[in-house]
Amino acid sequence: MSREARLLAVRAKVAAVAGGPLGAGVLAFGDARIDRCLPGGGLPLGRWHEAAGEGLDIETAAAASAFVAALAGPLARRGAVVWVMRRDDLYAPGLADLSFPAERLIQVHVRDEAQALAAVEDALGTAGVAAAIGEAQDIDLTGGRRLQLACERYGATGFVIRRRPFGGQAKRAASGSAAATRWMIAPASSEPGQGEPGLGLPRWRVDLQRCRGGWPGRWIVEKNDGPYPLRVVADLGDRQLETPQSLRLAG
Amino acid sequence: MDARATALGLFRGQKAADAAALAPGLVTAEAEPEADLAALKLLSDWCARFSPAVAMDPPDGLFLDITGVAHLWGGERNMAEDLLARLAAGGIPMRAAVASSPGAAWALARFGTGQMIIPPGEEAASLAPLPVDALRLATQTAAQIARLGLATIGHLAQLPRASITRRFGEDVVGRLDQALGRAPEALVFRRPPTPWFARLAFAEPISSAEDLARVTVDIAALMGARLEAQGRGARRFELCFHRLDGQVQRLAIGLALPGRDPQSIARLFIPQLERVDPGFGIEVVTLTAQGVERLSRRQRRLDEVREAAPEEGVAPLVDRLTNRLGEAAVWRAEAWPSHVPERAVARRPPLSPLAGVGWNPERPRPLRLFRRPEAIEVVAPVPDDPPIFFRWRGAAHRVRFAEGPERLAQEWWRRPFEDADPARVRDYYRVEDEAGMRFWLFRVGLYTAETSAKWWLHGLFG
Repeated sequence: MSREARLLAVRAKVAAVAGGPLGAGVLAFGDARIDRCLPGGGLPLGRWHEAAGEGLDIETAAAASAFVAALAGPLARRGAVVWVMRRDDLYAPGLADLSFPAERLIQVHVRDEAQALAAVEDALGTAGVAAAIGEAQDIDLTGGRRLQLACERYGATGFVIRRRPFGGQAKRAASGSAAATRWMIAPASSEPGQGEPGLGLPRWRVDLQRCRGGWPGRWIVEKNDGPYPLRVVADLGDRQLETPQSLRLAG
Repeated sequence: MDARATALGLFRGQKAADAAALAPGLVTAEAEPEADLAALKLLSDWCARFSPAVAMDPPDGLFLDITGVAHLWGGERNMAEDLLARLAAGGIPMRAAVASSPGAAWALARFGTGQMIIPPGEEAASLAPLPVDALRLATQTAAQIARLGLATIGHLAQLPRASITRRFGEDVVGRLDQALGRAPEALVFRRPPTPWFARLAFAEPISSAEDLARVTVDIAALMGARLEAQGRGARRFELCFHRLDGQVQRLAIGLALPGRDPQSIARLFIPQLERVDPGFGIEVVTLTAQGVERLSRRQRRLDEVREAAPEEGVAPLVDRLTNRLGEAAVWRAEAWPSHVPERAVARRPPLSPLAGVGWNPERPRPLRLFRRPEAIEVVAPVPDDPPIFFRWRGAAHRVRFAEGPERLAQEWWRRPFEDADPARVRDYYRVEDEAGMRFWLFRVGLYTAETSAKWWLHGLFG
């Protein structure tokens, strides 16, 4: 067996241990600063991901939903997208402002947590569904594993937004998770252009806390109208703000 | 009231004593309106052989919409003659008229003397000699018109419309227009029961849960085979369990796209079977299909493991979710032409065709819109300016950037214009606090020096 063949075999083994098949492809952010932290150079599809907010956002889930909606926008062109929520305060015109095809989104209003996870699982395991987004307070290892199995049937991508829609105390910290990635999302100050009144494009401070087969990192991203839904403004890993002029490579 | 009775001077609504005085040998019988109505219902079902659209006009009338049907009898005259001959053979006296509007046909059938079949456009001429009673007016109104010397419809039609309305009320002009075919009239057609019906009867009553599930699959297969033979699918199915004691237990399911696959229909019913109380046993099960549409057979591909059409994937998902969570719980949003934020979104069935009209991208809207705006305390030193500081749910927010106002008033077309109240005007601002959280705030009413303005938080941008 040649050296390359052995290397390939080892890589396949590592991939299998680290996080299932990568056959469903990835959703690239279009910026190497994030993509290099993610396995395969982008958000793995055919897996499920977790996003959560902090403080009040745990109750309103505004920032985390905006981030997920921006990410899932390109997926909506590949198939149906289902959004499962316990509190139906999602406002479609706001989704449309995030370049998400809100009119095609199938919205599902459920009464409790168990129904929410069951609906997300059902949607993920359905042919023709590109992504399913669920709002849930807590998801245990078994539930997470079930979502993962559903994702693998047709390569759908799941998103779980951590939310306690009606307030109250957190039951307990999540013990562990079967999610491929876990993101913590917080709003960040926008930067309107010089001399422009009003607000700039929405920005978020995203914190990739866990990533199977990748590395954690922190960035500030901004909504982007280009081919990629988000644009990296700053990499908070080294606290360096983006310099407007391009870097000149030495040598 | 037949011709002989009229000749004796009898009329409807006459007192029994007066009638007995006019016709000494009169035999009276109790009026039975319910039985009359039931008989009319039977007759209207029977009339379905002439036209699929039959409307009842109690107490004694039937409307048949014969648009595009008459040629089967070789013309309207032959059709009317056939109808009358058949009814006469059944011992039912009857008059019939054919006209372009229900009102004209009604008038001619009851009061007409000459031609009973009038071609389109000649309603006015044919109705002119008829009495105003032929307009289906309230008795007092007709009597009042007759008192003023307007004996016929022709006289009435010559008067200016405004003065008719002023003297006799709006109803008269409306009825006149309906009779002359100038105004539409909606008829409530009786539909024959759906022909898509399957039935299973059992020698021994059944009651166990397994048996119920098994007969559900069996009857779905019966219906599915019938639908498949005719190339059709249905959107709604109703399953009825008829118990020994005569009670009926109904279950219904709906499909997002017409379907007929027995397995998937049964799968939607089976979770509901626990709601069925079999009592002493169930002897008959029936299944009806509604919303039957043409459904072509799909050519299946050999390699369709990954490629599945929405008919095979998303539609059954929507059906499962809808039947599990309720019809109102699964929807897609569609733009509704209103500037009021709460009303700008309409909920539609998930797989309904897209209208293709989006929301105005020039007007930013929040991602989360609260059902009830939440009151906030603000510091807004300059009138008509956004606040510089506000307190919401106990936390203070210092405003860093603000945009606005976007002034939204009530929908003027929903109320009389005089009711438009400047106190209900909302000035919306989009603000961002120092942490970067983006809010949608509004101030109610116009600024006045005396009262401090009320501020509300209506939504959050992500």
